[in-house]
Amino acid sequence: MGFEQDFEPLALDELHGFAESRRAEGWRYVQTLAVLTDEGIDLVYSFMKGGHLANHVVPIARDAEVPSISDVFLAAFVFENEIHDLFGVAIKGIAIDFEGNFYQLANEAPMTILSPEQAAAREKAKKAAAVKAAKEQGVAPEADDMEAKLAAMDPKKAAKVRAAMEAKAKKEAAAKEAEIEGKLKDMDSEKAAKVRAAMEAKAKKAASRAEGGE
Amino acid sequence: MGKATIIPFGPQHPVLPEPLHLDLVVEDETVIDCIPQIGFVHRGLEKLVETRDYNQFIYIAERICGICAMGHSLGYAETVEELMGVEVPKRAEYLRVIWHELSRIHSHLLWLGLAADAFGFESMFMHCWRLRERILDIFEKTTGGRVILSVVKVGGVARDIDGAMMQGILATLDGIRSDYSALMKTLLTDTSIKNRTVGVGTIGYDEAVALSMVGPFARASAVNYDVRSFGRGAYGDLADFQPILDNQGDCYARVKVRCLEVLQSIDIIRELAAKMPAGDIAVAVKGSPAAGAQASNVLEQPRGECYYYARGNGTKHLDRMRMRTPTSQNLAGMATALKGCDLADVNMIILTIDPCISCTER
Repeated sequence: MGFEQDFEPLALDELHGFAESRRAEGWRYVQTLAVLTDEGIDLVYSFMKGGHLANHVVPIARDAEVPSISDVFLAAFVFENEIHDLFGVAIKGIAIDFEGNFYQLANEAPMTILSPEQAAAREKAKKAAAVKAAKEQGVAPEADDMEAKLAAMDPKKAAKVRAAMEAKAKKEAAAKEAEIEGKLKDMDSEKAAKVRAAMEAKAKKAASRAEGGE
Repeated sequence: MGKATIIPFGPQHPVLPEPLHLDLVVEDETVIDCIPQIGFVHRGLEKLVETRDYNQFIYIAERICGICAMGHSLGYAETVEELMGVEVPKRAEYLRVIWHELSRIHSHLLWLGLAADAFGFESMFMHCWRLRERILDIFEKTTGGRVILSVVKVGGVARDIDGAMMQGILATLDGIRSDYSALMKTLLTDTSIKNRTVGVGTIGYDEAVALSMVGPFARASAVNYDVRSFGRGAYGDLADFQPILDNQGDCYARVKVRCLEVLQSIDIIRELAAKMPAGDIAVAVKGSPAAGAQASNVLEQPRGECYYYARGNGTKHLDRMRMRTPTSQNLAGMATALKGCDLADVNMIILTIDPCISCTER
């Protein structure tokens, strides 16, 4: 006996009838779970027959009312109570309804509270997807490219990359300065003093220009 | 007919190793209804997937429960591998199954001990746990851990078992087999055990199917369902795998199915050890699961089919990780089995379902 699995969408108003037909066709009820999405909640109902694991995804709004399938498959009462307690989904007609007392919880619907880590991960995923999409379209703004990449990384890693970039820039500047110093040593002292004064004046000019620009 | 009375059973009860509460509606000495309640050890472990990346979460998955630790890490790893399209080396698949079957033996021996203790056979409890200790010794030698093994990782396994060590394991299992056969004979033929278990808490085939029961609980009611028979991973290389079934559906049948499964697991390990292929034990897994990608998976845990689900979001953190454990699937069956039984048989029926509440609540 082989094993295969698939995910199919299912509309909320077809759910109860679908469960009944699965029962009539000899499918075994496997489980129900909920996933918090940006738009609402996805309920996933799984059934199995032979080696075929069929998952049916029912997208719902957070305040939607969902019919219980525990009258068709009694085993569903555990998961429906759990989804009610953890996700705050209103499920009507559960065979053994604990009315919110199935789990002893400190928060109401804790699985709908997006943790900062998860929010950051979703933000990062969105930015990474946007950068990828932009790249695919061939519009890759060069100057912003690195910044966009940094924004897509997690904050700790981005800070590390920034520090590494600054260190690299400093190192390069120091190497250039050392090279100039070496050249100045070879010159006679009068010429060297003139060159130094010219360099300082240039640096000042550049600094004032940068300030003015800002 | 007497007056109906509600007797609260648990969450703290000598027969229960974990907190489970039952409201037993009794008339005289007969239970006429039962309402199970859990929720005393909910730790929100599934939520932790948001703060750990998919490689780190495996260590949380195996800490869901001490008895099913190996199974949870395996089920989780397989789900993430499915999600990311990772192909695991053959040798790693063999090693995973060998450890998983060892953990089935350890789980069943632990349960047999608890069941023996529940029907007052205390020396049997000690013998079963003495044998289980030898399995834990194998774990310690091969992985460094006795309960939490941390040996499975996404992409393969973390440790190898060499030829000499494998021979040592097989020799230990031979020793266990001879000692265990003597114990099993006593368990299955002893009159006082039969008095407590035969005809108690019976669930028929039709009822078992309707209640979607899984694991030895269902197989004792002749439901021919065992995830291992799908032949995935190293199970596909077994010459002949037949689930162990019984058609009586009572507590005795459930004891018998688990007793025989221990011997079956020893046979599986012996066969796979002989066929063990050479090669790598892991592949490097790079990248992250794609945004919106989802995968499900089923695994035969000692207590029955366990369902896993994962959804990726394009980063190393998963959007959702879900485990549906065999006990949560069997709660409806347990409530049904308790209806109509004697009050004195309640503990026996609960134990023969082998509930694992830590897994159920996560």
